[in-house]
Amino acid sequence: MKDERSTTQNTIDQPSRRWDVKGRILGIPISLVVIWAALFVTASAIPALPVPGMGGVITINAIMTAISGVVLGPAAAVANMAGGIISMLLFPFGAFLGPLSFLTVTVGGLVSGLLLANRWKLAGVVELLVVATWFVNPDSWQTLMWIVPLPYTAVTLLVIFFPPLRHWARKQILSLDRVRIWPAMFLYVTVAHSAEFLTTNAMVNWMYDLSWQYWVPTWLYWVSVDTVIIVISTIIGVGVLTGLHRARLPHATEIYR
Amino acid sequence: MANKELIVVQDVCYTYPNGVEALRGVNLVINKGDFCAIVGQNGSGKTTLAKHFNGLLKPTQGNVWVEGYNTTQCRVSEMSRLVGYVFQNPDDMLFCSTVEEEIAFGLRMLRFTKEEINHRVENVLELLKLQGLRTQHPFALSLGDRQRVAVACVLSLAPEIFVFDEPTTGQDHLGALSIMSVIQELHTKGCTIVIITHDMRLVAEYASRVIVMNRGQSIIDAPPAVAFKNYNFLEELSLRPPQVTQLATLLGHDEHAILNTKDFCNWLSSRIKPNVQNQTSEA
Amino acid sequence: MATSAFIPANTFLHRLDARSKLIALLTILAIAMILDHPVYILGLLGIVLFSWLAARLPLNFLGNIFKYFSGIALLIFCIQLFFYPGEIYLLHLSRPIPLIGFSGYISLEGVLYGLALILRLIVILTIAPLLVMTTPLSELMLALVKFKIPYRFAFILTTAMSLLPSIQNRAELIQQAQLCRGVADFEQGNLILRLRASASLLIPLILGAFRDSQTLEVAISSRAFGAPVQRTYLLETHLRPVDYSLIMASGLLLLFSLWIRWG
Ligand SMILES: Nc1ncnc2c1ncn2[C@@H]1O[C@H](COP(=O)(O)OP(=O)(O)O)[C@@H](O)[C@H]1O
Ligand SMILES: [Mg+2]
Repeated sequence: MKDERSTTQNTIDQPSRRWDVKGRILGIPISLVVIWAALFVTASAIPALPVPGMGGVITINAIMTAISGVVLGPAAAVANMAGGIISMLLFPFGAFLGPLSFLTVTVGGLVSGLLLANRWKLAGVVELLVVATWFVNPDSWQTLMWIVPLPYTAVTLLVIFFPPLRHWARKQILSLDRVRIWPAMFLYVTVAHSAEFLTTNAMVNWMYDLSWQYWVPTWLYWVSVDTVIIVISTIIGVGVLTGLHRARLPHATEIYR
Repeated sequence: MANKELIVVQDVCYTYPNGVEALRGVNLVINKGDFCAIVGQNGSGKTTLAKHFNGLLKPTQGNVWVEGYNTTQCRVSEMSRLVGYVFQNPDDMLFCSTVEEEIAFGLRMLRFTKEEINHRVENVLELLKLQGLRTQHPFALSLGDRQRVAVACVLSLAPEIFVFDEPTTGQDHLGALSIMSVIQELHTKGCTIVIITHDMRLVAEYASRVIVMNRGQSIIDAPPAVAFKNYNFLEELSLRPPQVTQLATLLGHDEHAILNTKDFCNWLSSRIKPNVQNQTSEA
Repeated sequence: MATSAFIPANTFLHRLDARSKLIALLTILAIAMILDHPVYILGLLGIVLFSWLAARLPLNFLGNIFKYFSGIALLIFCIQLFFYPGEIYLLHLSRPIPLIGFSGYISLEGVLYGLALILRLIVILTIAPLLVMTTPLSELMLALVKFKIPYRFAFILTTAMSLLPSIQNRAELIQQAQLCRGVADFEQGNLILRLRASASLLIPLILGAFRDSQTLEVAISSRAFGAPVQRTYLLETHLRPVDYSLIMASGLLLLFSLWIRWG
């Protein structure tokens, strides 16, 4: 939080105003958390991608989750959780994980948000917990099951625990460099999305015992789905972040730079 | 082709999914070259009517034809080449990172060739005097400029008909003037204009025709000079014709309504002069 | 878009306090996860379906849920059917195929466990609608508050819900505005087009909402957010004897299932 200051300060115009509302959650004005929760619910109702073989669709809120941490910091976890709970109350049908679906989006926002706030140790703990819930299940030790969280969980662990990459990505996000924000956003979005889907997968495995005979043959399919979501989230994330910055609207990178 | 019918609205009723009857039997024809103003109270159905002109809403009863196509049979993205619809709030449209990209985005979605896209973007930038802002981020622009960029996005599809929903609401006087001059220019270039507004001075100054909506029906459809004649009636709908018009009527002008100060002066002087002569002769 | 899934009626389930229903829901969820024999989960499902009928909830909703998830249910079942390492053979199919981990037999344990998982899926899918359709949103929120979830979080939930209509309107307007500039229809076209269209929806939607945050902040300050006062609610509810019995029954059922599984 402190060390980046001097290097990025000069390249960024100062935000035009200060926030002066007392109610904040993890540094973010509560109004933004509320708005994000409402946006999240709206997005849950928009289908984006039919998922063959899973009897469901991935909604646009996969994208919302992926970019939430970059926009709101750790408060994204609270906002996504609220959004997830409201979605469950309004559209209780078709939640594959039942009333617990909101946990996955919470974790996604939490890990990337903590990373943006430079609380990488905490982010690492949460991510390791997620990886642990996956690997504690005996199913995950079956033939070839280690490929399932790959490749994106490997990228996530690298971003969190490899200091040069972590510093570089965070710096680019905070300084909104025109070109380098793209790979950096890709990394942050990957962190959020991989944390989300690994939580989902772990929960699915605990509930329904899908063994390697399901996961391994569908591996390529799921990697492609995740890639599509990550790519489009990167595009939208860059658009939202630069837009927020240009329109001088409040968001997390203003706090952490 | 003077009186080519571009949009024909026939007995159109529209009920929103929540049960609000927003249109109850509207009939009207918009001809090529019209500069048509739609006025009416909030909630009278202006926007709902305008959204029928390019198929954003499909009538629950009746028919809308645009250049001979029935809107129920067309996709909006296709209709967008015939009818350009500019929303009130430019922020509902803008999302790219430069003005240029923003204008090109729609063209790309419609799969124009690269040369065609460049050509059109240049044209539109020039027409709307946006060349200086081409690499700017749309969100960093002022409201008036963002409004112009939104117009540019629609204009790039080269439609013949333009619908503007309250383009001047929320803008200061200068912003309103600059938007109106753009609209005026489109009109002189031969485009047909439909504009929704609350500003009767704009109606008096620019429109060739005014449609007054009330409770989902069009109750007056006439040139402003005729429509503003009965301003007591309009006032009941909280539509106040420009003050000159009111003044002229109060002073006993009873032909077509007077729309601007110049006409008013002419009329006044023509009325006063005989009196002045009378008075002098009496003395 | 729906603003509430609540279906008003005056049945036993509707009259129960939201808190006791919430506790029962969590208990049933836990039990469905704890037990893994189809007979027990069938009993659990029986309770859920009986409640569904007793609350006079539309049966076609159930039908839709089943239809929608029949594919995944079949998948879950087949995986256990073919690959569960059971010992009581029911059916010999072929020689063992070690490559896919298939023993050549279908075992009784596999069938039973597959059935258990399907039943678990159905319980998990139907339990949330059962609660939400028989309880008004306001009561659910109140129940959450009474469970001492942090007041700020309850505040976020209720305020976000009150923002929903305006944000949904906004989303609709933006979709229309994008259609007008040539973006293809949002729910048609191939994957790439649809995802590009989603960019043109999400970015203006998020930015527009953040622009409005200033207004919301004013509204929040005027509600004296954060003031340390004892809050009172218009809707005061009290647990009645039936509610206590439901909570007791849930607790006993939970203990019983723990005992079945590990006792
Ligand atoms: N999306 C919508 N859903 C339901 N009702 C609507 C919607 N949009 C407008 N209405 C209702 O339809 C009526 C006409 O609205 P509108 O056409 O927007 O009026 P105007 O543009 O003249 O102010 C109003 O009563 C309004 O409340
Ligand atoms: Mg309107």
